[in-house]
Amino acid sequence: MNNEFINKWISQLKKGTLSFLVLSILKDEKEYYGYDLINEIKKRTAIEIAEGTLYPLMNRLKDENLVVSKWVEQSSGIPRKYYNITASGIDTVVEMTKYWNNINKTINSI
Amino acid sequence: MKFKEIAFKDPNSSRIYKDYLKRVSHAIHILDKENQQEILLEINSHIYEGTRQNSKDQNEVEHLLDVLEKLGQPEVFLKPMVADRKLKEATKTFNPIKIAKALMLNIGNGISYIIFSLLYLFLFAFVFLIIAKIINPEHIGLFYRANHIFVLGQYNNLQGVSYSEYEKLGDWFIPVILVFIIILYIILTLFLKLNKNLKNKSL
Repeated sequence: MNNEFINKWISQLKKGTLSFLVLSILKDEKEYYGYDLINEIKKRTAIEIAEGTLYPLMNRLKDENLVVSKWVEQSSGIPRKYYNITASGIDTVVEMTKYWNNINKTINSI
Repeated sequence: MKFKEIAFKDPNSSRIYKDYLKRVSHAIHILDKENQQEILLEINSHIYEGTRQNSKDQNEVEHLLDVLEKLGQPEVFLKPMVADRKLKEATKTFNPIKIAKALMLNIGNGISYIIFSLLYLFLFAFVFLIIAKIINPEHIGLFYRANHIFVLGQYNNLQGVSYSEYEKLGDWFIPVILVFIIILYIILTLFLKLNKNLKNKSL
């Protein structure tokens, strides 16, 4: 078994599916701040992600109008930036899910 | 939104935290103040939320080091966001210095940015043409005669032949080239903006 090859493949797969994961979590229309979202990904998927990579991703999803964000003041004085999915984000994740299920079905049938 | 430093009990934690924030600030210093503030606030929020959830009752320094290690090296994970935001700032303001910096940051993000850099350099060549016209007005211009000569720039009259009579723009050379530069600059920058949006859509 070529472990190096598998590790690279896993890393590429994780990178490629992170936006899908994030949108899938946000699609329940609950709002999350960055740290909370990372914990939710860990909790639901047992996938370890490089935490810092979430922020550039959220920036891109925001640019694409798939999510919106707002700052909320906290009693600690350290505000949180909450993310919410948009209507376009929901439509996008529905399409992504269909594609993902299709590809999963195809791979399983091989 | 105001930035507030996180208070730590252990002075060593404070040192580690401040050092990390310095690295974040350095990694994003090229951006506008507003963008810098936004990123710094979000990273600070992540560190705060991470450190206050010390479930394993680790010592403060160890726990902070864990949070920062999981977050990653700011110079690495912030790089794509800085390149992206810089490009957005540059195409929004049409500021040539910002455009140059944004292109430098994005040069490794696809061949299109190399092509854009070359096109902007090509545009810069026309600025040199204006300077050359001031220095050497006789031999710089738009020389045109059907089926005979077409030169935009400098001609060398090595054989003693003068083409001055075919110069078409005369005193209008500098204003025309200037307008040409401005129009081309605006078009190029709009295309750069469009290219960025298309790239984002393909991600």
